Amino acid sequence: MAFAHRRMPFMVLGALSLLAALWAGLIRLGWALPPFAATEPPNHGPLMVSGFLGTVIGLERAVALRRRWAYGAPLLAGLGGLAWVIGLSVHVGHALTAAGSAFLIAIFVTLYRQHPTVYLAAMGLGAVSWLGGTLVWHGGAPLHRVVPWWIGFLVLTIAGERLELSRLMRLGAWSRAGFLAAGGVFVLGLLADLSAPELGVRLGGIGLLALAVWLLRNDIAWRTLRQSGLPRYMALSMLSGYVWLGVGGLLWLGFAGRFIAGPFYDAMLHSIFLGFVFSMIFGHAPIILPSVLGVALPFRRAFYAHWALLHLSVLARVGGDLGLPMLAPAWSGLANVLAIVLFLVNSARAVRLGPEA
Amino acid sequence: MAPTTAAVLEALKQVYDPEIPVDVVNLGLVYDVTIEDGVVRIKMTTTSPGCPVGDYLAQEVERILGKLDGVEQVRVEFVWDPPWSPELMSAHGRKSLGWG
Repeated sequence: MAFAHRRMPFMVLGALSLLAALWAGLIRLGWALPPFAATEPPNHGPLMVSGFLGTVIGLERAVALRRRWAYGAPLLAGLGGLAWVIGLSVHVGHALTAAGSAFLIAIFVTLYRQHPTVYLAAMGLGAVSWLGGTLVWHGGAPLHRVVPWWIGFLVLTIAGERLELSRLMRLGAWSRAGFLAAGGVFVLGLLADLSAPELGVRLGGIGLLALAVWLLRNDIAWRTLRQSGLPRYMALSMLSGYVWLGVGGLLWLGFAGRFIAGPFYDAMLHSIFLGFVFSMIFGHAPIILPSVLGVALPFRRAFYAHWALLHLSVLARVGGDLGLPMLAPAWSGLANVLAIVLFLVNSARAVRLGPEA
Repeated sequence: MAPTTAAVLEALKQVYDPEIPVDVVNLGLVYDVTIEDGVVRIKMTTTSPGCPVGDYLAQEVERILGKLDGVEQVRVEFVWDPPWSPELMSAHGRKSLGWG
């Protein structure tokens, strides 16, 4: 912990990818922003998933493992994002990202050997899914064939983590079997996607929906929701994220044939990437940032502002995508970006001001 | 005067992982406390070896114990042997989680 400040460069690399991804996303939505190397539309997703989330997840796991070599995961993922940002050959980014995900797999293999459990296996499968997606992309597949694998990376990582905490809920054998069944169907969907994309997305949707129901039934967040301050804020972030995971699952199930491009595709991706994943990020930041950087991030009531803006803007985006009378995509997308920017501003402010009186 | 082990453990009952409604002592995360010449050494664990909140808990332990009279330094060491399991929770911890 005394050397936590040395981890700052990893976080800077991740933040660079995040900001570039947001910029690229706005350009894709039609905002006339000056482009730079990374802002060609195809790099929005890779920068967000591999450059930002891969770096941050790699960093938090390297911190947990407490071995120097483990920092290869965030370093390589972060450099992969940087390669895309500065416009190096896309293959450089592929190679660095693949190497970063291989380090993350090695982290989970090491942890699993110390402590062989289902939740670590699930998180390890998530890292394999990240690598799988990168390899599928490098093999020339279009991004819509890569996306399910990258969603697998994030969903399995988060679900594994929540399974770990749910040990405190004294789950019965049927509940544990339910997690395995839900995760198993989702992974089957990923595998099916290789040869039969529509079937794969449909199966994946069943798995996502089942995982969302499982998390909503069994998560420890229901216990801390009754508390106040940070525990309640975190619980609300978890539970609202699970709702979006379920919405995403339903959309995958109902519109699997449209998992290529267009508004339905946008809704199928962003209900999960924004509604689920960013809700988890917002909720976990107050404990992960102190662990990773050694900087206290005390809870402030203002955190509910970025939480509310995130969920309302995702509702506007997904609703609009589905043809409901909502904001135009450019405006709901801008509101999504503002929610993330507000999260960054509120977090920086909390670090500077300290706890509320 | 340096605090007693009991006083340190009592103070540590103010340290929580915000996702778990049971303090680190009743959760069974604190394995050992030694106090020598104003230096408090805490040997503790996390619920999983892959848990990334260890340093957050260490900061909280240092912050809380640093307020005790006679404490000049707090050192937190994490160990994962024996691994934590729900069986290590106290009766109070189990009750808080509705284990009956």
